[in-house]
Amino acid sequence: MKTDMPLSKPIRRFLQHTEKTLDTEISLLRQPDADPGGTLVDQYTYDIDRNVIIFPAQYVGLLKDFVIAKHCTHLMMKGAAAKKGKFLVCSYNEESMYKGMRQIYLDALKDEAKKENKLPVQKLIQMLFILFSHFNDDLNELPWNAIINASVYHRMPKIRKTQLYHVMKESKNDMDEMLEQESIVPRRYFVLSKAMFYARDMFLAKTLPADELMPVINIPQMKKFNHLEVKEMLTTRWTHTAWYQSKVFGDNMLSIIEKPLGPVKWTDPPTLDYYYDLYKVGVLVTDNLISYMTMRDWFLWEEPKHLLEAHEHKQENERKALKRIFGDLISDAWGDKV
Amino acid sequence: MPVKEVIELLKKGKVYAKRTKFKEALAYFEKALTLDPKYPESWYLRASVFTDTGRYREAIADCDRAIALDQNYSDAWTKKSVVLYNLERYEEGLLASTRASSLNGNDATAWYIKGVCLDELDRSDEAQVAYGKSLELEIILDMEAEKKRMHRQQ
Repeated sequence: MKTDMPLSKPIRRFLQHTEKTLDTEISLLRQPDADPGGTLVDQYTYDIDRNVIIFPAQYVGLLKDFVIAKHCTHLMMKGAAAKKGKFLVCSYNEESMYKGMRQIYLDALKDEAKKENKLPVQKLIQMLFILFSHFNDDLNELPWNAIINASVYHRMPKIRKTQLYHVMKESKNDMDEMLEQESIVPRRYFVLSKAMFYARDMFLAKTLPADELMPVINIPQMKKFNHLEVKEMLTTRWTHTAWYQSKVFGDNMLSIIEKPLGPVKWTDPPTLDYYYDLYKVGVLVTDNLISYMTMRDWFLWEEPKHLLEAHEHKQENERKALKRIFGDLISDAWGDKV
Repeated sequence: MPVKEVIELLKKGKVYAKRTKFKEALAYFEKALTLDPKYPESWYLRASVFTDTGRYREAIADCDRAIALDQNYSDAWTKKSVVLYNLERYEEGLLASTRASSLNGNDATAWYIKGVCLDELDRSDEAQVAYGKSLELEIILDMEAEKKRMHRQQ
């Protein structure tokens, strides 16, 4: 472990255990502009020989510890998959991208027909890949987020209050996502996106049982949550949102998430086999969510390199997909100035 | 009062230290110390570079010089506690972090180091109290950072 940062005991042990189990090295890096949830740059995803966990510079104590615990758990699953079988991610290629964008276009047309203020064609075209890519990102993140949080909760009781703060913050940010685009995004995708996060939040609300907010409650902004349980806090938020219909889909997605995660024994010995099983559960949850959202032909399970290459060629593939959807209505230079 | 030149040197050194250009930073801090060895911040800043480069014993010596010049210099106490923790001198780390947190109750790092030292000394209940205080302060800092981030994005 390459760090001279002070770490709380359970985190230090977990880091050491991860390094030993995966026979690898983890570096910790504090960066002023890091993502609030931290970032994991790992050897199983990128062509590098060590792993780096990056977190915001203002995280000096338990917030930093939680970010490390979260990414370390993810690293364990990735590493276990790579060592025991194959670590795959939800990727896409030219064909699957075309299918996804075409479906979004058809759904958008249905919505547009009912709208008084039509979306400018240029914007509608741009939206197709943005939405497609958005679901790809979410499917690569959301199921793992649920698993990781449940695992950290059970394995590290000392940082539960920190976790609670993170979960609340993450939930708020995810809820705010797409908000500005609500009138643009086809209803079906807006609801599905919100429903996924709703399901994740509900799963976490059930998993993270009543845990009073002391000492967080001393902070004025958090006082309104006094004496509320996590579940209450998260459901209150959702039922007061404009997207209540997301709840119907969200409840179905919740059972999709809960079913495979229910039998998981969260405190079993943290072996390579254990984390490989967790990885397989994550793949199953992702698959089931994809099926439920009828996005089967949008995505493929491939090695991380495949996804990185897909990102690299996205502009070129987006253009090809648009050509297939719109034919000659799209000029060959489309996207060059976007 | 330090001469204006010392302040300027420290400013420049801090910029280098932030960019992890420790050699350059050290040169500025040392120049400042030559000009005015009675200014505690110069010792503290040099101690920070020593800490970041793993020269812990020198870091402690510099923290002690800073503290000798100003007994109530809370940042120097915090830095010293961090270094003592890294040297696995938990009892001493606890003393330094306790002093730091009593001088500046809003220092999240001082409370956290107090927590980790207590944890290492198997004083788990007391550790939880210190962690709690540290978390509270960290959340306030985080909320402020988030506000700034949102403001920048708008």
